[in-house]
Amino acid sequence: MAQGRKGKLNYRCPRCLMREIDMDMLYDAEKAEYYCLRCSFVGDEAEVLRLNTQFREKYGARTIRITEF
Amino acid sequence: MTAFYVNIVHRPEMVPEYLQKEAEQGKVEDLTRGAVLRESLDIFRTQQQTAHDQGLRTTIQMTYASLFNAEAVAIAKDHHARFGDEIGSTFLGLQCAEFREQFRSKELAIWLFSIEDKRRIVDAVFGKFHEVFGFYPTSTGSYYMDAELVNYIKASYPMVRAAVATCWEEGPKAYWNANNSWYTLLDGGPWNPWIPSKRNIHCPASDSDDDIGLVAIPHLSRDLMAVFDGPGSYYGTHPQNLLRGMVNEDRELPYFKNLVDQYRSLATYNDGYAYNMMYVGPGWMSKSGRWEADYALLLKSYQEGMAYYGELKRQGLAQDLTMSEFADVYRRDRSYTRPESALWRDILYSSRRQMFWYADPSMRFCLDMNQGGALVDLRPYAAKLVRPCGVGTKANQDASYPFLVQSLYRAGYFTHYAGEGAVKSCKIGHGQEQADLCTCRTQASFSVEGDTRVVTLEPVTIEFADFSVRVQSIFRLTEGSGEIEIVRRVFDSTRPGVEVSIDEYITACYGTTEYPEDLTGVRLSLIGATGSETIDYAYQCREAELAEAACVEAVVPQVDTRLSLRADGPALGYLREGFSFSPMYTLGVKKTIVEKGELRTWLKVEKAS
Repeated sequence: MAQGRKGKLNYRCPRCLMREIDMDMLYDAEKAEYYCLRCSFVGDEAEVLRLNTQFREKYGARTIRITEF
Repeated sequence: MTAFYVNIVHRPEMVPEYLQKEAEQGKVEDLTRGAVLRESLDIFRTQQQTAHDQGLRTTIQMTYASLFNAEAVAIAKDHHARFGDEIGSTFLGLQCAEFREQFRSKELAIWLFSIEDKRRIVDAVFGKFHEVFGFYPTSTGSYYMDAELVNYIKASYPMVRAAVATCWEEGPKAYWNANNSWYTLLDGGPWNPWIPSKRNIHCPASDSDDDIGLVAIPHLSRDLMAVFDGPGSYYGTHPQNLLRGMVNEDRELPYFKNLVDQYRSLATYNDGYAYNMMYVGPGWMSKSGRWEADYALLLKSYQEGMAYYGELKRQGLAQDLTMSEFADVYRRDRSYTRPESALWRDILYSSRRQMFWYADPSMRFCLDMNQGGALVDLRPYAAKLVRPCGVGTKANQDASYPFLVQSLYRAGYFTHYAGEGAVKSCKIGHGQEQADLCTCRTQASFSVEGDTRVVTLEPVTIEFADFSVRVQSIFRLTEGSGEIEIVRRVFDSTRPGVEVSIDEYITACYGTTEYPEDLTGVRLSLIGATGSETIDYAYQCREAELAEAACVEAVVPQVDTRLSLRADGPALGYLREGFSFSPMYTLGVKKTIVEKGELRTWLKVEKAS
């Protein structure tokens, strides 16, 4: 097995992020996948991005400019 | 007249933790690594230029490390001369080769050193600052500045009049968010600037004798709802924090402006005064990206945030002040008893939820309109607890100000089918039926009557088996009283002559974290004209009541606090001791009305000793 290293960005584990834990993942270049030292998540970049999109969905107002207070 | 003051703070942090960690990948530690120093200084320069391009002045907080860097010093002097920026000092960014050699420690948090080391470090930092600039700074700061540290600074360097003194609600949530490795355990302070007490930095000073001598500024202006139940480092006036919280969609971040605008709107509740501070360390704008964001997005979000402050300034809607200037303005017309209020609305999750925050020298509390105005956080500032932190103290890393109620750490209304959680609410009953106002979502409005701030909730409907009533809650806060006056008004009954009970209660405990503390020693008392009852807490699940109670109280010696509840007329008072699976105590006042009527009570927080 290859040594895990940091990826091109510091992708956090998307599963840990769901419970609001910022946990940087390591990247296995041989398998082209990220993995988490805490929760056993493993996935490629596309899977990380898919779950990050899911994380954002809780912010129902994230695209709205509110001007009335 | 409305005034919105903005503090922009930058620091040349020569060895930011995040950049250093990144540069160290696969290498041994080197505090003098040239690439890190250059990048950090470049980012600082970019931040300064971003502010100046928008016509905004900044406070440059020189780190200890930067005082040894001729280029950083030259930039600060130049920007002070050309733009009117203030040159201040910070205890962030202590670590550098010189510090390591002098103090032989890798500790990065000033508040966590022993008091002896704190004093030595203050002297070293201020001494070096004076050597470099020829004067002492008038503003300083860190993520947290404990009262003992500030008292020493004021005694030795009395010219200091402003400090970044806490990160709002960075406590167990921040620790958990950072994989249990970030020791900013600082819950319990005010969210907007305040004049701290000499005895505890979290507490607003009661009077001039209690005044610590400077104006404290929170590190960032944070979302008062999202940060109550989420990481402080996701939701504040720090664009890169928002990217960390993934509040952006693609490369857009409207939430930043929404947050600034909601802070501006707080002028409505605070005699026309509103405040914001933005303080981003260079480590957050790493050229190699951070928090899934590339450098271009980090820079864009920073520039757009600053541009919004610039736009507000150009429209005459914001005043950019340096920290020391702000301290002077803040003190100009401020009495010690004047509270800080905020009726905050959700701007993130698309709910209609509101929370009301209040802080004065006696207490800080929060009402949640999603729970019928239940009190979900209560900090007994009146106790002014002397609670030193750092090496050699009992508290050590736990610098939070204790709560009596914190409904997220200690359950609140919803428990897992056993025991009780910490919350203050009211139950409306008839016969064997009962409804807790925690289950009745509502909305609130704010008004001022002389020296009383009033939070009025929209009435809610309670439905019993064969009739219904409407109930309105009103919270009245008279300046300087140290009390919350609570009115529960029952009206519009659908059955004439029906009896309805109003049960005002508070279930409380004490602590700074999610975990229970020992309640042994807590004394619960009922006091009335016809007698009194006392329970010394021993987890025995005992209860007591008194038909005409003048006062129901709990004395919690662990936090030197007396918490009491009294009614405006004859009412039944009661006490409930908890048990080990429900480590709480309950104080209550109950009254029965016919068809319509009200119960008026006062919740008071006092120093016990």
